[in-house]
Amino acid sequence: MNYKKEQIKNALTLHTINTNNYKTNLYAIFLATPLKRENVTLDALLTAVLRRGTKDLPTQEQMSKKLEMMYGANFDCGVEKTGDNHIMKFYLETLNEEFLPKPEKLLEESINILLSVVLNPYTENGAFKPEYVESEKKNLKLIIESKIDNKTKYSHERCIEEMFKNKPYGLYKYGYIEDLEKITPEELYKYYQNLIQTCKIDIFCSGIIENSTIKEIISKNPKVQELQERKPEYVINNETTEKRERKEPNQVEESMKVTQGKLVLGLDINDTQENSRFVSSVYNAILGGGANSKLFQNVREKQSLAYTASSGYNRVKNAIFIRCGIEIQNYQKALDTIKEQLKEMENGNFTEEDIQNSKELILASIEGITEEQDTEITYYYGQELADRFVSIEEYANKIKNVSKEPIINLAKTISINTIYFLKD
Amino acid sequence: MKIIESSKIKEKAYVEELENGLKIIIIPKKNTKKKYIIWGTHFGSIDNRFIMPKTNEEVFIPDGVAHFLEHKMFEQPNGTNSLDTLMALGIDANAYTTNDHTAYLFECTNHFEEGLNELMDYVQHPYFTDENVEKEKGIIGKEINMYDDDPSWKLYMNAMNCMYKENPIKIDIAGTIESISKITPDVLYKCYNTFYHPSNMTMVVCGDFTPENLVEEIKKRLLSKENQGEIKRIYPPQEEEINKKTEISQMQVSMPIFMLGFKDTENNTKEKAKKHIAIEILLNIIIGKSSELYAKFYKEGLLLNEPSFDYEFSKEYAHILISGTSKDPKKIEQGLLETIKQMKEQGLNEENFERARRKVYGNYVVEYNSVGDIARMFLADTIKGVQTFDYIEQFETVTKEYTEEILKSVFKEENEVLSIVEPIKNN
Repeated sequence: MNYKKEQIKNALTLHTINTNNYKTNLYAIFLATPLKRENVTLDALLTAVLRRGTKDLPTQEQMSKKLEMMYGANFDCGVEKTGDNHIMKFYLETLNEEFLPKPEKLLEESINILLSVVLNPYTENGAFKPEYVESEKKNLKLIIESKIDNKTKYSHERCIEEMFKNKPYGLYKYGYIEDLEKITPEELYKYYQNLIQTCKIDIFCSGIIENSTIKEIISKNPKVQELQERKPEYVINNETTEKRERKEPNQVEESMKVTQGKLVLGLDINDTQENSRFVSSVYNAILGGGANSKLFQNVREKQSLAYTASSGYNRVKNAIFIRCGIEIQNYQKALDTIKEQLKEMENGNFTEEDIQNSKELILASIEGITEEQDTEITYYYGQELADRFVSIEEYANKIKNVSKEPIINLAKTISINTIYFLKD
Repeated sequence: MKIIESSKIKEKAYVEELENGLKIIIIPKKNTKKKYIIWGTHFGSIDNRFIMPKTNEEVFIPDGVAHFLEHKMFEQPNGTNSLDTLMALGIDANAYTTNDHTAYLFECTNHFEEGLNELMDYVQHPYFTDENVEKEKGIIGKEINMYDDDPSWKLYMNAMNCMYKENPIKIDIAGTIESISKITPDVLYKCYNTFYHPSNMTMVVCGDFTPENLVEEIKKRLLSKENQGEIKRIYPPQEEEINKKTEISQMQVSMPIFMLGFKDTENNTKEKAKKHIAIEILLNIIIGKSSELYAKFYKEGLLLNEPSFDYEFSKEYAHILISGTSKDPKKIEQGLLETIKQMKEQGLNEENFERARRKVYGNYVVEYNSVGDIARMFLADTIKGVQTFDYIEQFETVTKEYTEEILKSVFKEENEVLSIVEPIKNN
């Protein structure tokens, strides 16, 4: 296997992926911490402030200039929710040294720049630079406000919020304006100092790389050496940890100026058996995975009720989300048709061919994992956080082995939790 | 078979032109599991008036036909849909229409041969009836409504309206509800027979292939067609001047979005790739992430993110687009124009030029990470008459002096326009 994992110290793990499929090397650092209402806004703001400068490259201008001289190395960062964890992600992508017009060294510098962003930020008088914090607060405020701009994403986000009301996963990853206003540079820095000594840290390197070289570069970085040994604080989520009670569906409607309605259904999978995720994946693909799926065929093609109709499986929360863009007056008809499809699944009204088609779809995406550097990294990080390691080959085999009976049994445990509708 | 090569990035492309005129480009990629094929015809939304080579008949078609035709190609006489057939094989299939071409594609890891069978079968067998054309109008109508809700689409169309009075780039790719209502099977067949002739098409394949064998496989599946002469496309004459300076619309957005355009009236150069490289270097120097201007805008809270920029060109149009989100787009416009003026007077700074150059080079190389990006790039460039490896191989020929010349000839203040979509004002 081209994937290796080793502990550099407690709470700091190095993952390497050796591959010559790309012209680039990709490096990533992920910080994981439990999602909490009082912290989400701090996490989001912190990620943005860290990117503003390091001790060696204190301004954004210097940072950008440095990266551009390295043949346009790409730095990226962001926050994501993975299960009940808030993940702060930092990436650096550089050309592999083989494809430069002239020989030059890029590897060591790249890793050290990325480590500096996370572990050696620019500070003034024991706090983040007030100017950086202020401008990032403004930016974050705008990001939070612009949540409404993309109606498809917005409606999905709203459905999740309703479905996980007052639970960690229902929190908005960018946080809340009322919390944002109060944050000071000192408070944010204090939060950072505590976070960096408690969170789980994972470093990924993918490309044409030498494991031992990378390990050495990271181990001898002074800021890495300063990290305390500890048991990291984070939440393990997987299909066996997510149990929810069946209940009457919660119906939520919202109005906005739109010509097309957005209908999103959140479904609970009330099956917490080990490995049920493979069955759930196949179930989801038959229901709404592609152009052959029940939703696409019945909601879009046969009845022309929608322009888009699909479903997605969220493994860490053991949930499925159905998403349709419909004409507003078709709401009831579309909802009825979706419910019919769920019934069809329970009654086993799908063929061996449907199962086969769905598996092909999933297998193609599994094969695709090793074709994109960040997808491969995300796959292994998912395994790490779920604390269930399955190699890519094994994953494909488990999907191949899913049969009809377990799909029907799973279907019987599925219930609608939330029906969200965005209309005019 | 002709072989073109880029030694810097260690890639080769095999180019074969068949007797019937079909151009096949194969870029072999060892070790990758993904395979990508794209079959394009030089027929896009701007081709709305032409003379059919066989009959010499002049045809004027409603807006949105190229896109409509793309939608209808998947439907088979036996009631099946080729998209479903491909998806059932685990093949990710799709199609798209742009201003200047229509493309049918799929990406797969397995079942490439079966996929090729289906792709070459459905693209060569149109099936249009009154009934299936009528039904499609409902589906496309919904797609058009979706575009109407999309502020960034409105922004783009307004920018085109500012730059051009009468240019087919202003046509909505999907057409309008009204224009597509006029589409009939007869119109579709006329367009199909004219533009889906091998001599007007290019096929690009990228993945782990032996080029010679693959060309044979493709030939086996091609239907023989009578040779056809050149298609005469009729476009309005080029306009030297812009249509208007500014257009502002109001929609549901939280902050204004803007698109600044520079119409390029001198786009008949032979050195297309070279010019394109110079423009990208310039855009990076002017408003790229490490530019002084971006730092200033960011500091003043006028820009939150680096604006995106692009140079779109074909024989019929060419323009630079700079777009982003800002609370005060007019200030962005003013700052940009001042900076450009200064650069023209003082020349480019050596260090800034070198940095932008390296960045742009890196961007081009990164494209070669994905079989899909490679194939789409080769197709789009072929339609435009550009050789894709030129972007890498001619890179060193783009000097500071050449770039300064391009700055003067393309970034003209009188050719600059501004499109804004701002939040709806209450009351």
